[in-house]
Formats: sequence, C-alpha cells, structure tokens
Amino acid sequence: MLMAALRRASRALPLWAACGLTVLSPCGQAAAPGEPVRAGSAAATAKGPGGMARPEGPAASAPALPASAAQGGNSTATEPPPPAAVSGTGQRIYERSRPLLLQVRTLLKTQDSQSSVGSGFLVTPEGHLVTNYHVISQYALQPKRHRLVYATIDGKQGALQLLAFDVVHDLALLKATDPALLAGRGSVNLAPEADALARGARIFSLGNPLDVGFAIAEGTYNGPVERSFLPTLFFGGSLSPGMSGGPALDEHGRLVGVNVATRRDGEQVSFLVPAAPVRALLARGREAKPITEPAYPEITRQLLEHEADLSKRFIAQAWRSAGHARYAIPVPQELYMRCWGHGSPQAVRGLQFERSDCEMDSRVFINGSLRTGYITVRHEAYDGSKLGALRYAERYSASFQNEFMGTNDGARTAPRCVERNIDRQGLPLRAVICVRAYKKLEGLHDLSVLVATLDGTQIGVQGRLDALGVSFANAQRLAQHYLDGYAWIAPKTGSR
Amino acid sequence: MDRPEDRLALIELLERDGRTGRTVDVQHWPLTLGRALDNSVVLDDLHVAAAHATLAPDAEGRLVLTAGASDNGVLVDGRRLAAGEQHVLPAGGALLQLGNVRLRLRLRGEVLAPERRLIFTEHKPATMALQAALLFIVMTAQQWVSLDPGADFTAWLPLLFGMPLAVVGWCGVWALVSKLFQHRFDFWGHLGLVLPWVLAVQLVESLLPLLAASLSWPWLWQLSAPIGVLLLALMLRAQLAHVLPQHGRIVTGAVTALALAFGAVSLATLHRNTDRLSRAPYMSTLPLPALRLGSPVPPQALVDEMAPLREQLAQRVRKAREDDAEDSADADN
Repeated sequence: MLMAALRRASRALPLWAACGLTVLSPCGQAAAPGEPVRAGSAAATAKGPGGMARPEGPAASAPALPASAAQGGNSTATEPPPPAAVSGTGQRIYERSRPLLLQVRTLLKTQDSQSSVGSGFLVTPEGHLVTNYHVISQYALQPKRHRLVYATIDGKQGALQLLAFDVVHDLALLKATDPALLAGRGSVNLAPEADALARGARIFSLGNPLDVGFAIAEGTYNGPVERSFLPTLFFGGSLSPGMSGGPALDEHGRLVGVNVATRRDGEQVSFLVPAAPVRALLARGREAKPITEPAYPEITRQLLEHEADLSKRFIAQAWRSAGHARYAIPVPQELYMRCWGHGSPQAVRGLQFERSDCEMDSRVFINGSLRTGYITVRHEAYDGSKLGALRYAERYSASFQNEFMGTNDGARTAPRCVERNIDRQGLPLRAVICVRAYKKLEGLHDLSVLVATLDGTQIGVQGRLDALGVSFANAQRLAQHYLDGYAWIAPKTGSR
Repeated sequence: MDRPEDRLALIELLERDGRTGRTVDVQHWPLTLGRALDNSVVLDDLHVAAAHATLAPDAEGRLVLTAGASDNGVLVDGRRLAAGEQHVLPAGGALLQLGNVRLRLRLRGEVLAPERRLIFTEHKPATMALQAALLFIVMTAQQWVSLDPGADFTAWLPLLFGMPLAVVGWCGVWALVSKLFQHRFDFWGHLGLVLPWVLAVQLVESLLPLLAASLSWPWLWQLSAPIGVLLLALMLRAQLAHVLPQHGRIVTGAVTALALAFGAVSLATLHRNTDRLSRAPYMSTLPLPALRLGSPVPPQALVDEMAPLREQLAQRVRKAREDDAEDSADADN
C-alpha cells in the first residue's frame, strides 16, 4: 500500500511463497537458466501499484520442472539388492530406474514442436505413469489443441492419455495409449514406507533437466516443509526445470516424493510432493477413462474441495495480536503462513509505518499465468506525528488508493466492489470488499477486503485480506471474519 | 464621396481573410471589370480576363451581370457563369468572384444586418490578480501538503516556475491563434478567460473528493474526475468562442462533439477493462476524522451487501463465455 520504498522490501526476503508446491521452478527470479524447458507458464501477474497489493504472482514461480527423466537409477524397490558390479548407490539407483523414467512432452497437435516438457515415471506394470499436473496442464485445459507423448531413455516414443489429475497436489496420472510398448519395464515402488525416512537420509531425484538428458541428482531428505498448508517435502538438493514430475527415490529405490518445485533464491532448496497423494491418485484414476475434454469442471471441483478445507481451517483460527497500542488488527496464526515485518527507517521525516505481510507458501498451479487457492493478509500501521494532520490525511488516503483490485483479464472478471463506513464495536472503519469471478472455473472467486481505520488524525491502520479461489459463500465468511478482527485495543476513552 | 445620393452601388474588394480592402463607389452603369486598363474597375490578377464582366441594368431596371470573354467565368454567390452567360443580380447585391478576386457588390436594395454587439474583452487587472493569487494559494497549499516537513527548496521550484510558465505558455499560444484570426495578440484576454476555469478545476479536484468522502458518497467521488474534464472542455469552448466570436454555434457544437466523442471512447475503454464506467473500483479518498458525516453500519451489513455481487459476477462470466464461444466458433471457421 504504500509507496515505493515499501515495495522494495517485500520480496527481498527469502520467501518461497510463490514457488509453492506448484512448480518447480523459478521462484524469485524469472530468468532462471532453466527457462527453456519451462512448461509454458509465464510468471504470474503483476502486483498492484501498492505495496499491499495482492500477491498474485509474487515470487514468480514458473513451472519448471517438466523435463525428462533420463538417467534414472534402478527403479523398482522390490528388486533384489544391487549387483556387486555396480559401485555407488547413485549408480545403482540410476541403473535400476532407467527403464522406469520417461520424458513427458506436450506437443501442439498440428506440429511436432514441444510446448512443454517434464519428467515422469512408471507406477504400474500396465503402463501407468505419474508426473506433475503442471507438466501436462496445457493438455488438460486444451486437449483438442495438444497431445501428449513420452520418450524413454532408450529412445522409444509413444502417445499418452491423461487419466486423472490432482491439481491441488500438482500430480497427474497418465497411461501409454499402447501399454505394450512399455511392457516389462516394471514400476517404481509406491509401497507405504514402514519406517519413516530419517532426516538427513540420502535421496535421489531423477529427471531430465532442461531437456539436456536424463540425470540423477543426489540430495538429502529434510522432512516436511514447515508451515505449509499442503504436505510438501523439503529436498536438500538441486532440481531444475524439466525435472518436474520425476521421482525422488530413497536408497532402496522406493518413492519418497515427486519433484515439483525449487527455490531460485536459495541453494539446494527444492520440494517434492509426498508419496501419499500419488498413491491416492493412482487408486482413484487407475481405471478412469481418458480425459479428452477441457478439464475445467474437474479442476473446479478439486479447488472447491481445497478452498472449503482452507477457509474452514482459516476461519477457525483466532487472530493473533499485532502488538499495536491502539487497535486490534487481524494477523493470522503462522500455522501455514509466513509473516514478514518491515518498518520505515527511524530517521525518516515523513510518514512512519510498520508493515506486516502474511502469505501462504502453498499455491495451486492452474496454468502458466494463474495460481490460486491461497490467502494473504497484510497490514500497515501508520504514524503521522511528524507530519501534522493535513499532510497525514493526504498520505493516508494515497495509501488507501494505492491498492490494486485487478481488472478484467483472461482468467477472471473485473472486480465488483461494495464499500461502506462501518462501525466495529465503536471503531470507525472504511471497508471495501471486492470480488472477482473466475471465468472458466465457475463458482470460484477472488476476494479482496480492504480496511482503513478512520478515527485518528495522525494515526491509522490499513489492512487487506486476499483469498484467491474461494466460493462466494466462503468469500462472505472470510470477509466477515476479517472485519471482525478489528477493534479497539483499549476502552475508547483512551483512544485519542 | 461628396454626394452619397449619387452612389448607385458599392463594390468592396475582399482580402484573403474576408476583410474589406479597397472599395469602389459606383455612380453610373454600365460598369466593366477586368484586367485591361479601360475597365471601370481594374483587377490586378492573372486569373482575370482583360474584359471579365459587365454590370448593366436591363430594360426592367434589374441589374444584370454578363460574363465576358473569360476562361474562368464568374462565380455569382457560388454559381458559375461561363463566358457570355448572363445573370440577373438580386436587388440587395451579391458576392462575386472573378479569377482569384472576391468582391462584394452592395446595391441600394440591400437589407442591412443588425448591429452586432461587440464582445468586450474588458481587462480587469484587479480581478485577474485576485484570481491568480487565489490559484497560487490553492496550488501552494496542494504542494505544501504533498511535501514532507523540511523538504528541500528545490521541491518548490516546479510550483514557482512551472505553473506560471504553463499558464503563460497556454495563453501565449491562444494569443497567437487570436493573432491569426483577429489580427491582435490578445494575451490578457485569454489570461482573463483561463484563470477562473483553472481555479475552478483546482478547487473541484481538491475539494470534491473530500466532500464525497465526508458524506460517504462514492458516486460523487467517481464524478469528480469527469467534472474536471467537463470544466476543461468548457474552458476550451470559451477560448475558441473568444477567438471566433462570429461562429459561436459552430464552436459550441464542435467542442460538444469532441467532448462526447472523448467521453464515449473513454467509457467504452473503461467498461471493457473494468466492467464499470469508472476507473477506480472504490472510493479511495478517506474522510478527515473531524468531517466524517453519516452513520456507519455494522460489518454484517456490508457483508450482506455482497450478496448481489454473486449474480452480477455470474452474469459477467456468462457473457465472457459467450464471447469465448463466438471466438472459438470463428476460429473453427
């Protein structure tokens, strides 16, 4: 919400927010070296002019992982211990997984150029394979314009069918149109682990980074990512675009997770989708009919399920204190959000402020320009005692004006807003509620609630809640919940 | 002329801008016009024939124009007479063109247009000074508010020099336009015209949003920008009318058409991007605590007001889908 100085600060911090689980890719800097292999996703949309603007594409995570699987190691877990001839574990894993690794390519129907590539791996002997949803999202959304093919390490190619996907966990289940071509290759062991992997255990991620060739990347297992709404594993190793959808295996060749995203602003900070959703997807989609129509209805259904859970859990939480002397300001618990604080320099002559940005790391990748299914909460507390009332009022209004509510774009309608002066237990507030509707994901909305306190001549707070991809009813509940988070901290007499 | 009663007619030779240059008294008919020296009125223009036209009364006393041996002929009130053709002139006179020479023939039968009121551009230095001072105060106040305490003096330079230069430059350009159409460099006239309008625009822009915020009237807030544009359009109209006083209606029509076209294009663009007719999705000016009028509602009431949005948005979605379907149908074809 305010001004340039603030904006700078917001992304300098190591948020991995946008990279969320969705995509393996460039959070932070868009120009990751891996771009060539990107799965057709562009960096998400712009932030608003204001610092508090909605975090649509914040850390610019692009779906990168789609590359092909190349040098896998040994695949199946059930196989006997490694032959003595093979020396290192990595070599062993690679040798075993070789036949199970595939590169998944999305091609335009009318030509052979690939519009996106990723990796995948066989999960059944009947030719079922798993990859990331974001690797095949173009096909899922426009099946009439695209086709899916696989390529094995030994150079075999064939057509693929999309059977099912889990957009929230970013997984897709595919099957070879002619399973006979992949017969006899075995499958990656999906068996539930009897003993949980210890942190620090060596694991191996396989895939085809940047379409360069199949590769194995060794790293460590670091357990689940903290404060993530969706279960995600922290892989201490390097993932590159193109490896999306490849398997990460333990030393016995059992599936630990599926490569999905990485942080470009850190070193060897990468993410995996755990094995449980993979098993669930396989169980549910194994016998499904191939998807040949645009998958928007199914995506909508899954997102509505996700948002129902998210909204319910979010509303059930009590607000945290912001520590403001005068107002109670709604700040979310940090159960699955991260909050970053920032303040103006002490010496500044103008408006003083303190700012808090709370964002969810988990975001759901829909297509290259759309991520949804998350909530952000921000506020800025202003102190204009060095300015005087008139100057303060001007800046306070300017800050309020500086909020971007979105426009009519390819995915969503322009916002419709309602606004009022409201009275929250005696605390006067200006509140604006804007809602946008998704054009193709019917029933989903983006909610923005903007609030400014109106009582102070030289002090005030402005806050904003954004909930992306929620039902209208939950938008109303979230709006109410957020507005109810404001109050006087002390009896009103002490306020002025 | 010594004896006005002897004047049968008056010929006014018009200059390029329509003003009268030379005048010729006509005391007897016939009258000949042409480039040759033996004409009654010698016209020094290469597009005029030696004996270009003759004016003489016919048997019934009506004045008749006869085109002479000329390739170009004569234009009479916009009608062309070829060589040898004759034309009976109206009793009041006519506008003739011979070659490049335009001349007005005035006859005794003419009906004089009523005296036109002179539009006085009375300069009132005191009023102008007062308005300029007010404008300066308003803009200084705006600048003061926008600067942090202790701002460097250079932050004031745009106001000190920029604003006066802009006003002077604007009026200077308009004075040149006056020079073009009216042969006078009417700087002060334009300054006197412009000042009150600029002052009005400044006041509307700074006060109307505050008023709207105090009353909690978003519609008034949304109107303040169009009102500012309207005031500027009116200022433009006033200046154009000042330069072309004889074309008041045309000026009004042109400015109105321009304003309407501009408004329509802006609204159409806005509507495409925002589905609404205003740029800002919400009223972004906040009321001063002391001026906050109107009674606030409980949060629940605002949340309840969201309900109609659902259907409105669903409608937009349906519309978008229809457009989409049309597009893909087009693509299939």
